[in-house]
Amino acid sequence: MDETIAKYTTRKGFFKQYKKKSRLEEIWNRFLRNKLAVVGLVIFVFIILVAILAPLIANYDTEAIRVNVPNRLHSPSAAHIFGTDELGRDIMARIVHGARISLVVGCAAIAFALFVGGALGAIAGYSGGKIDDVIMRCMDVFLCLPDVLLALAIVAAFGTNLVNLTIAIGLAFTPKFSRLVRSAVMTVRGIEYVEAARAIGATNTRIIANHVLINCFGPIMVQVTLYVANAILTISALSFIGLGIQAPIPEWGNMLASGRVYMRDYAYIVIAPGMAIFMTILSLNLLGDGLRDALDPRLK
Amino acid sequence: MNMEIKKPNEQENTLEIKNLVIHYISDEEVVKAVNGVNIIIKAGKTLGLVGETGAGKTTTALSILNLVPEPQGKILSGEVLLEGRSVLAMSDLELEAIRGDKVAMIFQDPMTSLNPVHTVGDQIAESIEIHRKVSRQEALKQAKEMLELVGIPSERSNEYPFQFSGGMKQRVVIAIALTCNPTLLIADEPTTALDVTIQAQVLKLINELRQKYHMSMLMITHDLGIVAEVCDEVSIAYAGRIIEHGTLEDIFDHMRHPYTKGLFDALPDIGARRSELKPVKGLMPDPTNLPPGCPFHPRCDYVMEVCSQSVPENKWLSETHCVECHLYKDSNESMLKEVLL
Amino acid sequence: MLKFIVKRLFAMIPVILAVTFVVFTIMWFVPGDPTNIILGNEWTEAASAQVKAELGLDRSFLVQFLHYTGNLLQGDFGISYITRAPVGEQLMARFPNTLEVVLGAMLFCVLVGVPIGVYSGVKPYSVFSNLTMVAGLLGISFPIFWLGLLLILLFSVHLGWLPSSGLEDGFASFILPCLALGGNYMANIMRITRSSMLEVIRQDYIRTAKAKGVKAIDVVLKHALQNSMMPTITVIGMDIGTLLGGVVLTETVFSIPGTGRLLLESINKRDTPTVIGCLVIMAVCIAVSNLIVDIVYAYVDPRIKAQYGAAKD
Repeated sequence: MDETIAKYTTRKGFFKQYKKKSRLEEIWNRFLRNKLAVVGLVIFVFIILVAILAPLIANYDTEAIRVNVPNRLHSPSAAHIFGTDELGRDIMARIVHGARISLVVGCAAIAFALFVGGALGAIAGYSGGKIDDVIMRCMDVFLCLPDVLLALAIVAAFGTNLVNLTIAIGLAFTPKFSRLVRSAVMTVRGIEYVEAARAIGATNTRIIANHVLINCFGPIMVQVTLYVANAILTISALSFIGLGIQAPIPEWGNMLASGRVYMRDYAYIVIAPGMAIFMTILSLNLLGDGLRDALDPRLK
Repeated sequence: MNMEIKKPNEQENTLEIKNLVIHYISDEEVVKAVNGVNIIIKAGKTLGLVGETGAGKTTTALSILNLVPEPQGKILSGEVLLEGRSVLAMSDLELEAIRGDKVAMIFQDPMTSLNPVHTVGDQIAESIEIHRKVSRQEALKQAKEMLELVGIPSERSNEYPFQFSGGMKQRVVIAIALTCNPTLLIADEPTTALDVTIQAQVLKLINELRQKYHMSMLMITHDLGIVAEVCDEVSIAYAGRIIEHGTLEDIFDHMRHPYTKGLFDALPDIGARRSELKPVKGLMPDPTNLPPGCPFHPRCDYVMEVCSQSVPENKWLSETHCVECHLYKDSNESMLKEVLL
Repeated sequence: MLKFIVKRLFAMIPVILAVTFVVFTIMWFVPGDPTNIILGNEWTEAASAQVKAELGLDRSFLVQFLHYTGNLLQGDFGISYITRAPVGEQLMARFPNTLEVVLGAMLFCVLVGVPIGVYSGVKPYSVFSNLTMVAGLLGISFPIFWLGLLLILLFSVHLGWLPSSGLEDGFASFILPCLALGGNYMANIMRITRSSMLEVIRQDYIRTAKAKGVKAIDVVLKHALQNSMMPTITVIGMDIGTLLGGVVLTETVFSIPGTGRLLLESINKRDTPTVIGCLVIMAVCIAVSNLIVDIVYAYVDPRIKAQYGAAKD
């Protein structure tokens, strides 16, 4: 009898009887067969590595920040692979360090949105009725404003430091996650093993944690990936219009903004940073699409 | 024993399928749906194509309209002759001309066979417009008449499929199929998705209309009761082959193939209520992984060594009755009596 | 049906008010004393107090919000801190430009994207279809502002065919902004249309249509198309929000005098009433487009029309 209870109420018990391992393997294999998805994964891992190893690749203070006027606006060469910007700084160094900012803020913002939005969505989906209504109406109001604009307003009011930026973008994505988790919870809520778990007395929190959320995991991971891409795009966009990461901190968006004036005669200055944004977002989109196809294969 | 087999005159045949082989080929596997099917339907007659799910019946039927789903579905060999003309060799234009006109099909699931955004009147009228070159007004008028014929008030011709019940939807499907008086009507399990009482109504309707229009019919079903009511001849399908064929009497009273015997044995007998049900042991073979030799041998009570080694050839036992089973190779007449039980 | 539309129009009002509340609340936290901005060099204690009383800036949050909302419902967006002119005037001057860019982008994307999506859905294994998938993937990853810059580099700087800023050159000035703005949007439309068409082509009723002898082109245009439009219409309508977010970037890149630029300028100058005004107008646009999408749904899918009809009571 104890064993049976353990099966439904403990994480370990649940995993054991669900034979999760072989399912994970299956998903992983399907993922690997999708060439585009693998390309996305490789590129993204590369970008993460670059971000982690940034200080080793280029020194932050001397290369990315320090103004070096005699060096300004040099076209790409052996010494400066992507050229130098209007203040003489090595563009590659700035891009490499910019990766850190974008990735960290992007992931942090989505993590925020996931926990806050996810919690709200789970509560709404699981409780149903009035609570569900109230929460969802609030979320709907936020959905009436596009992410960029909402983040814009928040940043305009509270200032452009990193924390504010993260929270602003996180708040913009919170309603999306709440909808997602809510519908996943509502789907899973009807499934039999939740009833069975209840029947042997598992408490509500346990049910949500062990059964409901585990099954939503897959689709949520897909959306997380895609939203991180979106978040990074939003950060760059905000920095581009001057309401995000401020100079002299290197960020791909603000690099485009400051280099823009020189674009006519020094085209390279807007190529590299834009390409960095593009590659990051592309790799995440490929990854997200690949995950989605691996989790739920259909005939293409 | 040498039987004189008199093959029917080719011109009288509405449908002839010879040695049809169709496989579905994808990156991961090959589904051997149809593996050498031979079918003959004479003018004005009804053939029952009996078999369990996965026996290749629907695929065979689709090939008559040349609608086997591409690109996975590949017709590897064989001929399909509709009134003597090869369907597989026809151009797209020719196919569009005969579909709905010379040969029409009633599909299995009425819930999904109708276009949800067109009215039922429009869907029937479309067939008329395409094949009869009449004005839209005239086509709609004829469509309404068709609705009355299948027992639906013509005022409802402006309604959408979602406003009808399952049985009525199937009647609409029948109306669409019959509206241009096809020579051959293919009915793919037309009553399977319906309630039992509606089943009887729909079946009666199909039979009446068939007799009225002198159509030939291919009735695909797994229900032997329906076969008994509607069909003149029966073909038993298994794993993409026709393992037995004959008239209604041949099959019901003188069945030869062990599988056919199994099908009849599996029918619950209301008289002998307390005896156990006798299903055919085992499962339908996986079409991606068919057993060697005779596809039925793993489940057969009369299996012999030769059964796993070679595919049995078709043997004509009488003018109308043929079977594909090693039991009936010339030297095995003695076995005949055993199976008759 | 008409009752449904009217009901929805009325239902929009609380939503707009709620959005106004959110925006108002956020902007409440903008640091600094508005009178500094309004009076500029002429700031004195006395003048400040007077202005505050005039504009009601000394009242509580709730009173100010109700005051603002009351005016809003009559079409009065308040007075700009900077220009001292009614915000409404500025919006009226700038908003049409934004609308033209947005509608231009939408029109282009729908007219080009939908047919491409349909064709690649109907022929899923062709080279065209694969190219469409790739283009779609690339398209949704392209940052709008970078696309704008690259387009300027190519068509303006390098080739000299099109203007790089402003709206003086008539139709030609709209080409690049609409292309840049529409990049993501069109990629999304292509992808959704394609996958929706793929789903629909597999349906049983398409098989029925073919079995009736319907010509191949009619199978697509008369039978498949209408059924596949629902997700596409959803994307076209719902993504208006993305377009409005993107128009801020587009107007920056192409120096277009529109609501997006106005919003940025007012944020930088801390001209709160104008900021709120811009955001509210955009929210209204989104709400209206959602309503239009719902109405179009009813015309595409008779099942939904029936639901709306039933919801009359």
